[in-house]
Amino acid sequence: MQRSLDINLQTWRLGQRARSRNGVRLFAVSVIACACLSAALATWLPLQLSIVTVFLFAGPHNWFEFRYFLMRLPVRFGRSRNFFIAAFAGIGLLTTGYLALPLLYNFTSWSGGAWFMVLASWNTLLLLWLGLLVWLRGRNKRRSDWSWAIPTALALSSLNWLAPEFFSLAIVYLHPLVALWFLDRHLRRTRPEWLRAYHQCLVLVAVLLAGIVLKLTQTPALPDDNGLFWRITQHSGAQLLPGVSSHLLVSVHLFLEMLHYGVWIVALPLIVPATLRAKQKRKRIWEVKAVGIASHPRGFPKLVGAALLLGAFVVVALWFGFSIDYSTTRDIYFTVAIAHVLAEAPFLLKML
Amino acid sequence: MKRMTAFCALCFLLVAGGNTFADIARPSPSPQPGKVIFHTSMTVIPDKNARDARLQISQDSLNELKAALANTSADSSLRQRIANSPTRTVIAGLCLFLSLSIGGIWLMRSGQPRGQKTVALLLLGVGVVGAAAIITQANAGPPPSYQWRNLSQNLNANKPTYASVDIEILPEGYGMKLVVPVKSQ
Repeated sequence: MQRSLDINLQTWRLGQRARSRNGVRLFAVSVIACACLSAALATWLPLQLSIVTVFLFAGPHNWFEFRYFLMRLPVRFGRSRNFFIAAFAGIGLLTTGYLALPLLYNFTSWSGGAWFMVLASWNTLLLLWLGLLVWLRGRNKRRSDWSWAIPTALALSSLNWLAPEFFSLAIVYLHPLVALWFLDRHLRRTRPEWLRAYHQCLVLVAVLLAGIVLKLTQTPALPDDNGLFWRITQHSGAQLLPGVSSHLLVSVHLFLEMLHYGVWIVALPLIVPATLRAKQKRKRIWEVKAVGIASHPRGFPKLVGAALLLGAFVVVALWFGFSIDYSTTRDIYFTVAIAHVLAEAPFLLKML
Repeated sequence: MKRMTAFCALCFLLVAGGNTFADIARPSPSPQPGKVIFHTSMTVIPDKNARDARLQISQDSLNELKAALANTSADSSLRQRIANSPTRTVIAGLCLFLSLSIGGIWLMRSGQPRGQKTVALLLLGVGVVGAAAIITQANAGPPPSYQWRNLSQNLNANKPTYASVDIEILPEGYGMKLVVPVKSQ
């Protein structure tokens, strides 16, 4: 009897290991394929693919990100009450301030120096908010003191005041990388056995990035003779870095953006659940009950359902807007999208 | 006597003229150095089918050039913009002061000797690396001439060359000149 139980347990363990190995392989192959394909396409047709990827994936990735944040949102804030109040207040105020910038630009005639001051002030508020969030998050941890966040935020603010426009450009390039950090934290919790493969894939991403830079350093600037192409090159920092080929800048930014979309649309909602163990019940993406604050007895299923439905409606509206007037919709999208950039900070901190 | 006086005067004039180079035409005033008003990029493209050389400027660059010409006193380089903006410099200094002060207080109150040592070592390392970078000008980056180094090979191979360029306004002269840095290899 004992022997037969031992044999069964051993068989079960072997099966588990084989399944886990297959999961790692599937995950690693998917990441490598996505990264290589993204790098090749971003180098080959940067402007055209930038238009296509934003059209197709900008809205859906925001919806998936919204759903993921809802899944990570606790039903009761408890000891994290101050953290979440600071987080949501900061997201609201900073987004409002950011949305007001283009309006101010249209209705005022401030000098270039004044605009630098406005931009630097917004960046400073963002840094101080991040410092506050890190500090508040540290207070919930028993063994660590994260008070270093405040002096660090102030030191970064100091650098920001010297060149605020470069700080804003840094956000454009660093934001896509945050998705990779999210995936790292998610795997650390749910699939720690995949982490090694994931980190090896990250090395490949760095190699691909270096390859793009080496290949495109000497290339001529991209044609920005129409308004849309000009917007894309400006968004990548062609005006701020005139010594760097705009082809290189757009390709690097597009590559990072594609990885970002890949993580939010493919890796987090599809690959990870696809390798769930047989006994774990898989939940569909559109199932409201998959979200913790909806399935909890004291949760808000109707509110969550309505929010997700509204999000899906916004995605469709965005596609419609892109079809009618791509340039204007793109401008509006990238202005409003600052909200999701900001929202990533508190949810990432909660996972640390 | 009169002849002697005239001869002496002639000799004096000749000596003075020779010493003062009075027989040489007045030199033209030394050309004033140009003033860099705008930094941008340029791509040199050899074209076998072109009938004449063309200088193509994007509308955006032209607008920026116009703005730079309208306000030539304002240099757009980062260093000068910082120097010309005392308010920003003051705020940056204030933030740095607060950062160091609060960081120092945190370090003293943290009560973790290991953490204090780590931060002290980190600060010391940053200071040493920063000082070394400033002394050796290691933060200067490659010179702009680096991007032009393959110009002749690229022209021979019918390939484009992409590099940065300073647009300089000269007080005299006519037309345009492209001065390319050439380093002997």
